[in-house]
Amino acid sequence: MEQRALMADQIINGQVIEACQRGDRDAFRVLFETYKDKVYSIAVYSIGGDKSVAEDVTQQIFLKLFTAIQQFRGDSEFTTWLYRLVVNACMDERRKRRRLLPWGDSFMSTPTHKKPQEKQYARVEIAEAVQLAIGELKPKFRLPILLKYVEGLSYEEIASVMGCSKGTVASRLNRGHGQLAKQLGHLREHAFQEE
Amino acid sequence: MFSRHVTRNISAYCHGEVSAEEAREFTAHIMACTKCRTRFEEIKLGIKFAEQLPQLSAPDHLWLDLEPRLGMIPSPQSTPARLFTRWQTQVAAIAAVLLLAAIVGVWCVRRDQKPVDVKAQSWSVQRIKGTPRINSNGVVGSGELAVGQWLETDGNSQAQIAVSSIGQVEIDPNTRVRLVETQPTEHRLELARGKMSARIWAPPRLFFVDTPSAVAADLGCAYTLEVDEQGASLLRVTSGWVALELKERESMVPAGAACQTRPGIGPGTPYFEDAVPEFRHALVKIDFDNDPEVKKVALKELLDYARPLDTLTLWHLLVRVDTTGRDKLYDKIATFVHPPAGVTREGVLKLDQKMLDLWRAELEPTWNRYTFPKQVAETYWRMKNGVHRRADNLQRKMFRW
Repeated sequence: MEQRALMADQIINGQVIEACQRGDRDAFRVLFETYKDKVYSIAVYSIGGDKSVAEDVTQQIFLKLFTAIQQFRGDSEFTTWLYRLVVNACMDERRKRRRLLPWGDSFMSTPTHKKPQEKQYARVEIAEAVQLAIGELKPKFRLPILLKYVEGLSYEEIASVMGCSKGTVASRLNRGHGQLAKQLGHLREHAFQEE
Repeated sequence: MFSRHVTRNISAYCHGEVSAEEAREFTAHIMACTKCRTRFEEIKLGIKFAEQLPQLSAPDHLWLDLEPRLGMIPSPQSTPARLFTRWQTQVAAIAAVLLLAAIVGVWCVRRDQKPVDVKAQSWSVQRIKGTPRINSNGVVGSGELAVGQWLETDGNSQAQIAVSSIGQVEIDPNTRVRLVETQPTEHRLELARGKMSARIWAPPRLFFVDTPSAVAADLGCAYTLEVDEQGASLLRVTSGWVALELKERESMVPAGAACQTRPGIGPGTPYFEDAVPEFRHALVKIDFDNDPEVKKVALKELLDYARPLDTLTLWHLLVRVDTTGRDKLYDKIATFVHPPAGVTREGVLKLDQKMLDLWRAELEPTWNRYTFPKQVAETYWRMKNGVHRRADNLQRKMFRW
């Protein structure tokens, strides 16, 4: 996963960013194609699993990115700067939505609420259960998990994106993992011992 | 070792985000501390779940919806000097899209269709003698044991398996093993019958062996494991520690010690192999006989023959006997190693876990007669993983004793 992030960085070199800063639409397209899946994934998992809202949020993030890219001065890695934007946008969206809906109401509202007693959990169903559990974590535990497992960032990179120390990242990941284990413990056998 | 728990560092340790010295302290502590080991298992489970989280694909129409809205963004410069010509940027865009599609495609294939990638999901097998068989196909020279496949030896054959990059397993004649799983966070074999010898140079709890009556969890060690036709097994540890587990029952077996298991019961109590025969026979009765009277007599005999080293057995028995037996065990252990501050008879009789752990910490130096090989294994593991920074420091500590 980290290799993927590295390759994306190799594609998005200084020239592409400079071209974006000058308003080059084709360079924007390169940037968009490179990061759209990563940004969309974080948006889906962060805003509660509603894919149509996640699409809106992804578009908002890229619009913001294209507007703000002139302010990028290369003081930090481009990916760090981008993910900071993504994290902030997702937090804002969540705050907005919280005023309208109780958190978690919309998450995976489609047929993912399987009863724990069900014996046959396919890999896809486990992944859905994990997504549901991730959605129920507090943002401060959820975001480091998304940055680690969806984006493949190191602790240092996550710390830089979230504006906290490496120790805080370690601690939040620890608590996030612990909560996932508690929530999904009943799936342990289905997930890992009957493969 | 017990002064600082390591629960805060578990995720960082699992992700390789701690220094070599911290990793050494972590493994040393976790082997001795029940609380941290329980938490370690929990966090590791959380990590395994988190690893199932897929990256999603953004819908194709997203750019079509976005592009018109870009027109609303004011141009940053009135006369932008284009770095790329139109065709250059188009080629770059297409190349980027194709490259990304290829990367994501390869990644998805590897992630979702793991069985297809046989090499990544298999261990190499080396024939030692005779003709070992993988799923009925004879191994000539060497072969690959894929997840789900059985490796079987007859009376004349023997084989060696490379356990990913973390160790080796030697398969004796008349043995049947299956590769259950091989992942960065877990490698698992099933031993249906026969005998295997394992040498593992990995952090604790990465390598597991399922038997019909218990699971052997490696804690950085070397050991042999035998399973008979009835499904009973015998574990003998030659270096480091091994945990034998079944549901809530757990036995921690150090170097020089052994432990038997029985189907339907699980792991018995660990004992040092140089204990007198009377002690060992009494222990078999305590562990596996159904008659409470037989157990009671056996406990008396066991206590009569116990040496200071046998506190390993006595400590494990504390949770496996009734209060009367526990009271006698307390007295016997206390004659060898006095309970440390904070440990009381009442607490031990009530099975206060904190007190049991404290006493165990006090007893453990007696049991660690073969600490050197374990540290060698740890050092080797670090070397193999390219962690050299603190090697000198570690070697100094190794040879200090």
